[in-house]
Amino acid sequence: MQRSKLLTQLLNLAVFIILEAAALTLLTGNAQLQRIWVARAAHGFMGTVWGSTRNISNYFQLKTVNRELAQDNTRLLQELVRSQEMLRRAKVDTMQFTQRPGFQMLGAEIVRISRSSQHNFFILNKGFEDGIREKSGVITRQGVVGIIDAVSAHYSYAFSIQNRDISISARIGAEGGRGILVWDGSSKDGALLKEIPLQYQYSPGDTVYTSGHSLLFPPDIPLGIAGASKVINGATNEIKVKLFQDPGSARFVTVVHNNSFDEIEEFRP
Amino acid sequence: MRKTEFWFVYIILLVGQLLLSTYCTFSPYLTLSILPVMVLCIPNRVHTPLAMLIALASGLFVDWLSEGMLGLNAFALVPVAYARKGIIGLVFGNDLFARGEDFSARKNGYGALSLAILLAQGIFLAIYVWADSAGTRPFLFNTARFAVSLAAGLPVLLLVSKVLAPDSRR
Repeated sequence: MQRSKLLTQLLNLAVFIILEAAALTLLTGNAQLQRIWVARAAHGFMGTVWGSTRNISNYFQLKTVNRELAQDNTRLLQELVRSQEMLRRAKVDTMQFTQRPGFQMLGAEIVRISRSSQHNFFILNKGFEDGIREKSGVITRQGVVGIIDAVSAHYSYAFSIQNRDISISARIGAEGGRGILVWDGSSKDGALLKEIPLQYQYSPGDTVYTSGHSLLFPPDIPLGIAGASKVINGATNEIKVKLFQDPGSARFVTVVHNNSFDEIEEFRP
Repeated sequence: MRKTEFWFVYIILLVGQLLLSTYCTFSPYLTLSILPVMVLCIPNRVHTPLAMLIALASGLFVDWLSEGMLGLNAFALVPVAYARKGIIGLVFGNDLFARGEDFSARKNGYGALSLAILLAQGIFLAIYVWADSAGTRPFLFNTARFAVSLAAGLPVLLLVSKVLAPDSRR
């Protein structure tokens, strides 16, 4: 009964559209003014439809565009780090300058992420077959996201910076004191910079960078902004840091691996 | 009114509309058309697709033989036929369809009949005035034309409905 009613309504609508189209065709075929008017309306309608379909098509291409941008970002970051490395070595000894590969960089995408526990992690869509290796850093344009802990053929498991077991060597200001950056354990973009010797002066608002003393991350990657501080045991400062990158919202990342990692690790007893 | 009588009167009124369109031009603000109420009075037993075809043919007949634009009346009249059963159901109630009856002034009252006529005529005039101006006349002019035609046409349309939908009609 209901179906028959629906069919009748559809039939009525179809006949209505056909008859109206026929009447409109006759009208526009016999009146110049109406022809122009209908043509203008049709062009306006088509413009709107084409504009909308173009917007929809652009929306669905965003993933590809994002991936391309992430790849460009990785390449540019690699160029930047290489240039900085070359500049630093040139400053140390201009006569003995040799180009040596510092950090290898690869773009990747986070495919799974945990952000509700004290030991957060994420999984990347690339593994050792793509060139990812254990003990590599994971960064974005806005800071550090985590550290690769395990690698399979096509995926990598990484500890997030929002993990109580992770710490990063960091520096406050251009030439300031160096300490250890750890997650504050509660906020999405809050961290603590610990063990900063008291003799180093700083001001709230100073930028915190990677120190370059870690084997995992290149130096001078901006991490966040320094905030309030307190003295711990009368010996060191502990500074609150507001991170630039909320690790939970990162998607396209760059994996950095120190090419000298294994060589330096051999010195460890 | 018997079936053949209705269609005979319908054709007479169609010729009347043709004469009205050809010889009676009162004012640019007044468009007098009895076609919408003629379509509204088509017996309920006639299904909507057929009513739309009748509306198209009636509109084309008047357009073709009068001095108007071919297709204009047809373009405005087909939506009235499409909305015909909706208007009748809304104003007079759906019981009318269940009983297989048609509406009339005595049975349903002049108030309800006027409302149904105003709805049908409103649909017709809105499309007619809009398509006739083709975006070349100001909105205020079109609104005034719509309102004047709607108000001035009501007495004539009530009269036509009295002829096409008499109280004895089943």
